[in-house]
Amino acid sequence: MTATVPATPRLPFDRPNALDIAPLYSVLRREEPLTRVTTPAGDPAWLVTAYAQARQIFADSRFGRSHPAPEQASRVSDAAVLGGPSGEYETEEREHGRMRKMLVPAFSAPRMRRLSDRIQELTDRCLDDMRAAREADPEAPVNLHDLLAFPLPVLVICELLGVPYADRDHFRTLSTRIGIIDSGGDAQEAMEEFKAYTARLAAAKREHPEADVISDMVAVQAQDPTFTDDDLSRLAAGLLFAGHETTSTRIDYGVLLLLGDPSRRDRFVADPDGQVQATVEEILRISAPGGLGLLRYAHEDVEVGGVTIARGDAVIISSNAANRDGTVFADPDEFDPDRKPNTHLAFGHGAHVCIGANLARTELRTVFPALFRRFPGLRLAVDPAEIEVRHNRLSGALDEVPVLW
Amino acid sequence: MRVTADTGKCVGSGQCVLLVLEVFDQREEDGLVALVDERPPPERREAVRQAALSCPAGAIEVADD
Repeated sequence: MTATVPATPRLPFDRPNALDIAPLYSVLRREEPLTRVTTPAGDPAWLVTAYAQARQIFADSRFGRSHPAPEQASRVSDAAVLGGPSGEYETEEREHGRMRKMLVPAFSAPRMRRLSDRIQELTDRCLDDMRAAREADPEAPVNLHDLLAFPLPVLVICELLGVPYADRDHFRTLSTRIGIIDSGGDAQEAMEEFKAYTARLAAAKREHPEADVISDMVAVQAQDPTFTDDDLSRLAAGLLFAGHETTSTRIDYGVLLLLGDPSRRDRFVADPDGQVQATVEEILRISAPGGLGLLRYAHEDVEVGGVTIARGDAVIISSNAANRDGTVFADPDEFDPDRKPNTHLAFGHGAHVCIGANLARTELRTVFPALFRRFPGLRLAVDPAEIEVRHNRLSGALDEVPVLW
Repeated sequence: MRVTADTGKCVGSGQCVLLVLEVFDQREEDGLVALVDERPPPERREAVRQAALSCPAGAIEVADD
């Protein structure tokens, strides 16, 4: 069989399993690192698969999240997140600046250091639940996703934002719905419900402010008439969604990676505290949840690597593919926690770099040592190739990671 | 090794702090970079270089003595 690249391949590409990415990415990276593709919504876009170009576009302020003529913009998918243009072309820069200024201190490293004991406590509680489940039914594997990977980031983001943990089933369902890429109109409908939910929270904080991020946002809004209720509720929903789905997914994939090969697990178990920093960076680099990428629109004609991207064109940057670029990472498909330097793009790059990266790293650096200290004999109850990946989920979230010990 | 960090470029990602706590921090008031150690010892060099390479805003520069 000869591997041929279709004229405009359609995303998402078929992936063989949760741990490997579609082979087409490496073909494209070699032959056409910026290539025309068809989005899941059926529209034309550029796909970036090479590290240098991905980093360059992330860092170039001529690419934004808004579109000069949004009604003409290519859509990526039906999802209400990264599905199409967002924000106003005229005001994007100002709004983005306001958002960063408001939120950067709340997610800064010093704040995360103060939160780390609490994250440890919440992790221990999740591990207690895993042990209890194992003892309650010694025959059955324990679903690590449901007892650790999902609840831990949710508990943490709830405390940070000031969202009641009791509402988790409600926003869990909404989070899934807004990220379905082939949902028809349901993702947008779910986003409206999500915004109505966070608007109610904001209204309550307006009456009774507390020490949390939504209260901070409400206080900023009181001083800034251009920061509308719609902006605030959308941003809060975005933080709640991104603040748990992404980290939860990386915990799942990290466990699959560490358990996929017993020698990896044993190596980590031998010195969790000494290895956790580099291991987490390698998990972030090689785990590749989701089959799309981050979205930008060109705000003017821009030449990248000899290719001209025209004003208004959609660009999908596949960090998953860029993180496996062999010109930057030797043996890119190998899990190698000794990799130095490991300058992956899992959180993006440039002015839009993930605002929750410190939170994610703090959680990931807490959870893996705690998990493997508690259960050093942890193992997967199924072949990792059998772990089901839902191809229509933006975040690449898993439902089940069955483990034993 | 001498490290400089440009608060005019910094976007407050905090990646440098999470990589080398002994050399970088973030200011409480605005989350922008604060240098803790402008002349880090040799054992931190590798991590400091990674911080410079990873910095999403290109705000960190490293010069050899």
